[in-house]
Amino acid sequence: MESSDAWRQTGGLDTEQGKGDPFAAAVRATRMAMIITDPRLPDNPIVFANDAFLRMTGYERGEVMGRNCRFLQGANTDRGAVALIREAVTAGRDIAIDILNYRKDGAPFWNALYLSPVTNEGGEVPYFFASQLDVTDRVDAHLKVEQEKAHFEAEVAKRTQDLSQSLATQTMLVHEVDHRVKNNLQMIAALLAMQTKAITDPSARAAMEMMLTRVEALGIVHRRLYQSNDVERFDVAEFARDLSTDLVRGSGRDGIRLHLDLEAVEVPVSKAPPVALMMNELITNALKHAFPGDRPGRLSVTVAPDGKYFAIRIADDGVGMPVEVMEKRSFGKRLIGTLCRQLNASIAWQSNEPGTTVNIRLPREMADSSETP
Amino acid sequence: MSDPLRILVVEDEALILMQIEMMLEEAGHSVVGTAMTAAEAIAQIEACRPELVLIDLRLADGSSGLEVAQAIRERDGITAAFMTANARQLSEEMEGATAVIAKPFSEAVLEDALAYLKACVRRPPPSEPVPNGMRISAECLARFDAMRH
Repeated sequence: MESSDAWRQTGGLDTEQGKGDPFAAAVRATRMAMIITDPRLPDNPIVFANDAFLRMTGYERGEVMGRNCRFLQGANTDRGAVALIREAVTAGRDIAIDILNYRKDGAPFWNALYLSPVTNEGGEVPYFFASQLDVTDRVDAHLKVEQEKAHFEAEVAKRTQDLSQSLATQTMLVHEVDHRVKNNLQMIAALLAMQTKAITDPSARAAMEMMLTRVEALGIVHRRLYQSNDVERFDVAEFARDLSTDLVRGSGRDGIRLHLDLEAVEVPVSKAPPVALMMNELITNALKHAFPGDRPGRLSVTVAPDGKYFAIRIADDGVGMPVEVMEKRSFGKRLIGTLCRQLNASIAWQSNEPGTTVNIRLPREMADSSETP
Repeated sequence: MSDPLRILVVEDEALILMQIEMMLEEAGHSVVGTAMTAAEAIAQIEACRPELVLIDLRLADGSSGLEVAQAIRERDGITAAFMTANARQLSEEMEGATAVIAKPFSEAVLEDALAYLKACVRRPPPSEPVPNGMRISAECLARFDAMRH
């Protein structure tokens, strides 16, 4: 029903019923606080207040009649909300707003105010109608939720900051440890290299040189580890390239051609040191025994994925491993056996015509003791 | 060596410094000075006029090899190369240095790096692959390319 129809209907009832107007009776008796103000009078005073309004605010009728509603405002009433109400009154439009009001005894309450102009048939606004509902519980609950939310957000922000700081500290620590490990490896290598140069006994010197290559192989592992962005995985192929070129270069044997057949194989970092040491032993062995004198030859290093496993092959076309070396229980062979055990790897030595091939097959992921390759 | 390089070594670990010095001398180069701090290194650059300066990134007394590289950048005719366990910390520009040699390095790696650097100092730079454990600054690579063409 349109408001002009409603106005006409209430006007009609007023004429018919006189003081018995059922709408006026309803407004007087409803449990919702309601007032009517007259904007034509100075300061838009209250000209009607029902009992529910008096109960809600704690005032007597005589204390509210003829006064502007602002007496309900107090210290913590939002000035912005007051301004919005004033604008609505000036513009002659309705407004629904939650505003903090105060009872006569000074107790605050949240008032869900609905204010609406009452327009007559001539389009004038002789009255404003306002209903009030005490929504303190709802607003308090909402404010409590907001406060808790803000509290939790602050907590989360603080925890995030703490974690970020902790991560930054740990990252710095990792870099520091990485730096020290590399520097220490460099120092150990320096000591071994300098001591080796001072040794005249050929066998003692050879043993020291072998030890130096082992330390240098671990050095390459650490140099390679932090060159990639992934500090948890280690590419065996990239390592094999560095190690074999360094070893062939370090042997000073220009007649040895290095052939590399390398496919990327990433393994957990924990496997890197044993894999590195094992490859170092095998390549060094080949360089030491396969090409006596100045015999030229070819050394090939293969790294290839093989499902859950990967294969490393070191092959030479040299003189073949002498029987005494094959059967000798040297420290190097013992080391290879121990590393194979740690890596759960199988190793096969094969005599070629000419040369020797060593095939190693090992699981890519962490060794499972129940698994055999 | 008929044509030794004049090299200044800047390294705060005495053992590593000693090894590099021995190695360079065995290879026939001339170690014209050694330094453990940036200030010492800068003074040595003035006093010894090296052709090549090998610089550790972290130096004694908390100073940095970057300060040394910056001082070298302002002078012509000196090639600088970092030797560091923190190679990833260096930008592509490497503060004007030609290269970085990643620690830990073997003597063979250092020999290859020196051969490469010697070519950078004395001749048109080599076009062969960069040795293991070594990275050349983007600026130098571009300059080398321009020189070759």
